[in-house]
Amino acid sequence: MIEPKKFWWMIKKELISLKRHPGRLISILAFPIIMILLFGYGMGGEMTDLPIVVVSQSHGDLTDLTLDTIKSTETYHVVEVMDNLNDGKERVENGEVKAAIILPSDYDDDSSSQKGVTLYLDSSDQMASQIIESSTQGIFYRLSNMVAAQTSVSTQDADIEPSVMHSLNNFKDDISLHINRIYGNIKYIDFLVPAILGMTVMMSCMMGMGATIAGERETGELARLFMTPTSVSTVIGGKIAAKLLIELVRALILIFMAVLLFNVSIKGGFLQTFIVLVIGALCFVGFGIMLSARTSTQEDYAQMSLPFSMPMMFVSGVFYPIETMPWILQKLAYIFPLTYLNDAMRGIMLKGQTLGDVWLDLVVLLGFTALFFIIGVKRFNRDV
Amino acid sequence: MKNAIETHDLTKVYNNNFTAVNSLNLEIPDKSIFGMLGPNGAGKTTTIKMLTCLIQPTSGRATVGGYDVQKNPDEVRNLLGMVPQQVSLYKDLTVMENSQMCADYYGVPQDERDSRIEDLMELVDIKYAKDKRVGQLSGGQKQKASLVASLVHRPEILFLDEPTIGLDPTTKRTLWDLIRELNDNGHTIILCSHDMHEVDMLCDNVGIINTGNLVAYDTPQGLKDALLESNKKEMTDALSKISSESEVSTSTKENIENLNLRKMSILLKNQDDNVIDSIKKSNNIKSIEIAKNGRINLRIDSFDDMAVQNVLNDIIASGGIIKSIYTEEPSLEDVFIKSTSEVNENDRA
Repeated sequence: MIEPKKFWWMIKKELISLKRHPGRLISILAFPIIMILLFGYGMGGEMTDLPIVVVSQSHGDLTDLTLDTIKSTETYHVVEVMDNLNDGKERVENGEVKAAIILPSDYDDDSSSQKGVTLYLDSSDQMASQIIESSTQGIFYRLSNMVAAQTSVSTQDADIEPSVMHSLNNFKDDISLHINRIYGNIKYIDFLVPAILGMTVMMSCMMGMGATIAGERETGELARLFMTPTSVSTVIGGKIAAKLLIELVRALILIFMAVLLFNVSIKGGFLQTFIVLVIGALCFVGFGIMLSARTSTQEDYAQMSLPFSMPMMFVSGVFYPIETMPWILQKLAYIFPLTYLNDAMRGIMLKGQTLGDVWLDLVVLLGFTALFFIIGVKRFNRDV
Repeated sequence: MKNAIETHDLTKVYNNNFTAVNSLNLEIPDKSIFGMLGPNGAGKTTTIKMLTCLIQPTSGRATVGGYDVQKNPDEVRNLLGMVPQQVSLYKDLTVMENSQMCADYYGVPQDERDSRIEDLMELVDIKYAKDKRVGQLSGGQKQKASLVASLVHRPEILFLDEPTIGLDPTTKRTLWDLIRELNDNGHTIILCSHDMHEVDMLCDNVGIINTGNLVAYDTPQGLKDALLESNKKEMTDALSKISSESEVSTSTKENIENLNLRKMSILLKNQDDNVIDSIKKSNNIKSIEIAKNGRINLRIDSFDDMAVQNVLNDIIASGGIIKSIYTEEPSLEDVFIKSTSEVNENDRA
């Protein structure tokens, strides 16, 4: 049975400690801000203004149109348009620019059937090179369509069978692709933030709770409490309540910063998001209690928790969808509670789902929570 | 006399089959100061953990204030106070806050709580630091704060684990006075310490635990007397076996009344380098020192029955003629070393 006065002392003690250690308090509050800044700007942003040069060895309308299109594309920052091929290649090799787009001398020649544009690419920078490659392909795909359309018009003028030419050159125009983004135009940061919230709660609760228990064992503070006529559940319950309180304040800051800095949408509403986070926090606090039930030092706890926390971070679909991972990791993902927390968070925040819609995730999380607490309290001994 | 603590065949075997406490039978009289001694790893801590309900015994039973530690743990906890060696108060809380927290954990009535704490603070002279954080206190102040927190529920039995370790002599003596005062006020005190002088000064009874067994139990003086008697017998036997060539003065025989096996001062009639070298090479000699007056002061590092005999035989064999032997009265430390070394020897055998 939980005794309220003793329970309250655990919370009070944590709050007094924080009040008397402004540095620790600042660090606790700054952590979610740093997390969201790091992930938001570091991983959630789009790559723009990648430096390139254009080697243009031709002159004419198509060349001008191409140059204008390239210059107006946000992905690139055209450092220079030059006509010397070797200079352009040298700039890439020296690392001054990420790529050189080389327009051949016959680029504007209408009689030329194949216009061999070359993308001279610094492939050592994998991320930048992939983005430049896809952007460049996009530009020249559009331009080739335009050229094809013009060709079609000119051939029609030359009295060639219109239906044949239509099917040969303009068939793409017949396919009308309508993209219906059912959850709106979601950016990577939108995809990332719900899981970052989950991951931050996971790390803080799991590491913080376990380290507190193991630390108090090490210093004998826990033993003093256990020598009093107090149940294990009161001591542990008080510690959980204190931890939850702090973690939820941090979660609130995290949500607030995500909305403020990155305009992240919370379609399912703030309250539902908060409830899911509370359930997640409880689950990971339980995990911390379970792991720390028999560890006697903070160092032991840190070593024991790493094999769980690290794989969970990378396998539970925080950064990439689980479906894109190798099958073995996909299977592994479903034994980690963070996967279910991420799924529920994305459901609420991105898709605007309700708690009822993500019930399965919540049931699994609560199941994990019950399991962790039962094992934790059963394994917990008063010994130090 | 009523016993505050009783153990009957109390045993603790850990999961790795290590027997930390082995059929311990112990009686600690009510309102006494009991010294629990033993080398590191002897089983003292495990015994205390079982008595304070932190761990369960594997077999046997223990009662504290008449309550069974397994059947009535909460009643036992209410009777106990503990001042651990490592101060385990929350460092970020003040002395007052820590004491209040302990009081609430023991269920001290709210209207009495603060006045009790203030009284105790006055008793141990820590009231001036009541609003200081424990982390800011000196070692002695921390121990006093720990005492207040441990006494706030008025425990009948108080465990003190190395309470004066690391304290300066003045603070140490203040704490000794306090321990006596608490005992005068009716608290039973169980003192675990490696400071033999402290135990000798304070305790009514001493129990020595080694390899999980109680190997000696008596008053400090009783233990010393027993060792003295044992020493006397051993030395008399040794001297009776000395060859007739040696001379042992009559005063030496009288000094046997004060024999201590570990510290002997020998005066030789014919002291030369050969004799000194042979003593140095003799087994069981821990240290040898030649005093200005020519006496050879020896410390023997063994309580083996033959240790003294061997040393004396070595002296005689090298041509030394013993003129006199002086010894010192055994201390509690001697009792401790003898008691624990005998068991260790048996273990090794």
